[in-house]
Amino acid sequence: MLKMQNIRKSYRTDTIETHALRDFSLEVNEGEFVSVTGPSGSGKTTFLNIAGLLETPTGGQYLLDGQEVGNLSDSERSRLRNEKIGFIFQGFNLIPDLNLFDNIDVPLRYRGFNAKERRRRIERSLEQVGLSARAKHLPAQLSGGQQQRVAIARALAGEPRFLLADEPTGNLDSLMARQVMELLEFINEWGTTIVMVTHDPELARRAQRNIQIVDGQVSDLRQTIAQPEVAIA
Amino acid sequence: MFELKPMLSALWRNKVSALLIALQLALTLAIVSNATVIVKDRMEKVARPTGMDVENIIAATYMPIPTDYDMAGAVIADLDLLRRTPGVLDASVTNQIPLSGSGSAGTYFNEPNQEIGGENANYYQVDSHFIDTLGLNLIEGRNFTPTDEHVVGPNERHHSEVAVISKQFAEKLFSGESAVGRFFYAGNSDQPVEIIGVVEQHLGAWPGWSRAGNVVFYPLLVTDNHKRYLIRTEPGQRDAVFKEVEELLNNRDPQRVVQVETLSKNLERTYIGDNVMIKVLSLVMALLTFIVALGIIGLTIFWINQRTKQIGIRRALGATRANISRYFLVENSLIAGTGLVLGTAGALIINRLMVSEFSQPTLTLPLLAVCAIVLLLVSITAALMPAMRAANVSPAMATRSV
Repeated sequence: MLKMQNIRKSYRTDTIETHALRDFSLEVNEGEFVSVTGPSGSGKTTFLNIAGLLETPTGGQYLLDGQEVGNLSDSERSRLRNEKIGFIFQGFNLIPDLNLFDNIDVPLRYRGFNAKERRRRIERSLEQVGLSARAKHLPAQLSGGQQQRVAIARALAGEPRFLLADEPTGNLDSLMARQVMELLEFINEWGTTIVMVTHDPELARRAQRNIQIVDGQVSDLRQTIAQPEVAIA
Repeated sequence: MFELKPMLSALWRNKVSALLIALQLALTLAIVSNATVIVKDRMEKVARPTGMDVENIIAATYMPIPTDYDMAGAVIADLDLLRRTPGVLDASVTNQIPLSGSGSAGTYFNEPNQEIGGENANYYQVDSHFIDTLGLNLIEGRNFTPTDEHVVGPNERHHSEVAVISKQFAEKLFSGESAVGRFFYAGNSDQPVEIIGVVEQHLGAWPGWSRAGNVVFYPLLVTDNHKRYLIRTEPGQRDAVFKEVEELLNNRDPQRVVQVETLSKNLERTYIGDNVMIKVLSLVMALLTFIVALGIIGLTIFWINQRTKQIGIRRALGATRANISRYFLVENSLIAGTGLVLGTAGALIINRLMVSEFSQPTLTLPLLAVCAIVLLLVSITAALMPAMRAANVSPAMATRSV
């Protein structure tokens, strides 16, 4: 699903060049649930940005679903992001001026679906996260956990094959975090490939595989046993 | 792909700033469109053909010092001298200088002994060289000949038997029928004046007068205490002749005070108020449009800065750069559209007041539409640069914590 070979990413200012990723190589198979851990500043977010086509690498090769993405134009990258990748962010990243329905609608509009298809997908994804009754609410009227579920619904509505989660439970209390984690495990069971960046070792252990990034390189590849304890209600 | 509904929802939640810009646009349209109609009216007025070769005509006015001055003799001698001057095409005597703001008018009828229902016209007492000196276009009938001319004293009752009139006045008197050979009556007189010729155009003494263009010329020299000459020069010779005229007249007869000016200076002076009005209103329109453009640029930049994270999120969710630019341009167009709809109503209301209270020209819908389209284009142009800048926000902004 995702194959990175010798990926490099450096940021340059007038006087300093910072290497965020160095000879970074990783392969994530279809249907895998991979957690990514590492200390702050290790390059986790840079990896996530490159994996999610939010940034371009300085060097190396990146194949997403078998397609070399290094030479794609900005518009092609946008289209690929929209069609194949779902994002779940630590801060939920819902648009505060839009109600839940319209928030989930945002990527679907960019996809070019007609109104009927968009409605069908939005209603189904809201149902999957248990928030159908809140479709007309604004994000500010929901709890953190509910907002993250809306963000997951937004990611699911496009039926992506690849889900990237950036600290998806970072802003949630333990109960909410557990619910969100269970939801992700449930999504993975449907066959969606998930890569989750997290600081939480306990969550990381729940993934099938954990990757540790240190100083911009993969330092450790550990196989973990992931067995979701509870399916989503 | 437009996100009108969510865009409107988002705008509604930020309605105060959006409404302020819309109101600013509305006010700008109301003022600019009404100013435009005034400017257009004034420009048309200033650009009206005078019917005369204004650029090549010099006007000289003189007043003799002696009380028993031989005015008729002086006129003959002066005109003879002027016509022989190199660079001069022709010269004529007149009671008033056209376009000067100073003149005489009467009421005319096409039946004798009438008191109501006449038509006002500006009249001139001239000689047989007048039409050629001014470069007027005689479109019907004939010019005056020396035999038509009469000389009368200042206190003598005088009456011309023939006249040349302007086409506009002829149409007023005879409703488009040929005027040559027909008669009119000055005031409540029963003495007919035969029209022997019609000139195409002559604005008369007062271009701002509601009857400007109604003109009558009589072949008459009244020997009152001052006289005026009109001198037409060859093209390019006006300034050279201008320098000579005062000296020529004074040398021929030093017993008088001579004042010389150009007809174009007269015309410029006549339209000074209109030209000032055109310049001031144009400046006001440009300033208002500039200010509204600055407001739109400011608001768009403010909203973009406020929504940088949101732009990043949209980009991460699949928006292309074009999607982002279009979002802000459409959003701006919605605000501008609202403002222009309000402004259209405002402009029409203001114009109605201007017409009824200040006799200003009526604002036509096509002109209002042109003003609205120009303002819409200005607002889109103003939003274009910030909108393009917004498109450069990186999608990686979505994963940043600030």
